[in-house]
Amino acid sequence: MTAPRLGHEALGFGVGLRTPHFEHIRRHRPAVGFFEAITENFMDSRGGRRAALEEIADRYPVVLHGVSLSIGSTDPLDLGYLARLRDLAEAVGAAWVSDHVCWTGVAGLNTHDLLPLPFTEESLAHVVRRIGAVQDFLGRRIVLENPSSYAEFAGSTMSEPEFLARMADEADCGLLLDVNNVHVSAFNHGFDPVAYLRALPPERVVQVHLAGHTDYGTHIIDTHDAPVAGPVWELYRLAVELAGDVPTLLEWDDRLPAFSVLEAELAKARRAAAEARGA
Amino acid sequence: MPERSELARLQRWMQDAILAPGGPTEAAGSVLTASGTMTAEQRLGVYWRGYRLRLLEGMRGLHEGLCHLLGRETFDAFALAYLEACPPRTPTLFRLDEGFADYLEATRPDAGRPPGEPGSWTQTLIDLARLERLFTEVLDGPGTEGTAVLGPGDLPADPARLARLRLVPAPCLRLLRACFPAHEYLRAVRLGRDPELPAPRAVHLVLSRTDHAVTVSEVDPAAYRALSALVRGATAGDALDEAGAGAEQGLAWLRRWAGQRFFTTVTTDITEGTTR
Repeated sequence: MTAPRLGHEALGFGVGLRTPHFEHIRRHRPAVGFFEAITENFMDSRGGRRAALEEIADRYPVVLHGVSLSIGSTDPLDLGYLARLRDLAEAVGAAWVSDHVCWTGVAGLNTHDLLPLPFTEESLAHVVRRIGAVQDFLGRRIVLENPSSYAEFAGSTMSEPEFLARMADEADCGLLLDVNNVHVSAFNHGFDPVAYLRALPPERVVQVHLAGHTDYGTHIIDTHDAPVAGPVWELYRLAVELAGDVPTLLEWDDRLPAFSVLEAELAKARRAAAEARGA
Repeated sequence: MPERSELARLQRWMQDAILAPGGPTEAAGSVLTASGTMTAEQRLGVYWRGYRLRLLEGMRGLHEGLCHLLGRETFDAFALAYLEACPPRTPTLFRLDEGFADYLEATRPDAGRPPGEPGSWTQTLIDLARLERLFTEVLDGPGTEGTAVLGPGDLPADPARLARLRLVPAPCLRLLRACFPAHEYLRAVRLGRDPELPAPRAVHLVLSRTDHAVTVSEVDPAAYRALSALVRGATAGDALDEAGAGAEQGLAWLRRWAGQRFFTTVTTDITEGTTR
């Protein structure tokens, strides 16, 4: 069993909820600790997809993971989006609500990409201010993930883990540590992923993400279309050593395999966590 | 945060560079760092390509039929042109194609010819795009599951009373006139087949939803005229008159449509209020 963090429940080991698996989950009720639903795939739905999520939420803990909060954008916060997020979170009894430390667009556009922020005092103050506004609006502490990135701003004045640590502390929010993203960004930017993990405040880590990626030689892209890679398992073990039994979730989006493949990958995560704990 | 802030300036610069159709034009080296293996411009290019790939994947998923008909390369060209003209603004990718059919209509190369001309290749593409958009709306929008709807037994047999009724359409009811059996083509593609394009003929389609499954049915032109009038808010009497239907035929239609959950309730007159 994983330990509760920042008042959030200890949910164990879960997988990302994807539409092609709905029927399998309904029929077989697989033994997973929780499901993570992509917020934007459900918040505006009034169809079968939303009904299926609510049915699954009756049987499993569900957390919401967003990709369009755009916490770092210089556009005003989208209050309509936040209201729909709050409604969805209430409807499914979301254990927590997460998104990414990024921006997705400005001038009213949404690129549907997790774009990087410059790590500056100005960005930090901006993001902290907006996290506060979002937490006030939602009436709950949010959890923010380190995204994978493919470019860095020349004007950054601090490292990514320093930015995240200060952000989490000053805004009093949780962190979602994606160890695959750490590996991807570490390769792309040439930093030490172990030092990165050690620089984060472990008590703020509410959840860990595991996923696969694609190595293009010159850079790695976070594609979520493959098993978790060896170096990422190493980082995961370190994350568990540092943060303890933290709820862990496997993401798999493209080239989605049968649910049994996800379960097998989740079993590896359980074993890796147990090894890291010395159990 | 004011637009003049450095963060706002950087975000505007990066978004403009990503959205630029021909690729980032401005040297990125003064804003982004290089890595050991890639220049700043190449790194920005990862985001430029990723933006297009992600949205194209979304468009292909929403328009499986049109993508099959055109082939991926041609479909992607249409979709990219649309996305360039109408970059996404909504948080969900399921609304990515909201303006796609209208965009195709507005940019049709055969503008000036009679709209809906049977056999027109352009009209075929537009009608298929519109059907696929409507399918998504019906599938994912509000429906009538778990709510009371108008049943056949709720309709009066008395023609005079029936004529005064206004039927409130279900939120998942959509109508479409197409220049070819687009629904048959789409169904075959979704079954994994490689169908021939059906011969052109005018078809009148009704999309609805039962138990979260979309139904697409073809109706005759007169019934379509009556349904269209009802959806516009006409009384049953006016709608049936517009369709040239007699009382018996009209009652049969209305009962059948009520059985298909096309309407949620009836009103008689705004001063009389809801009858159920």
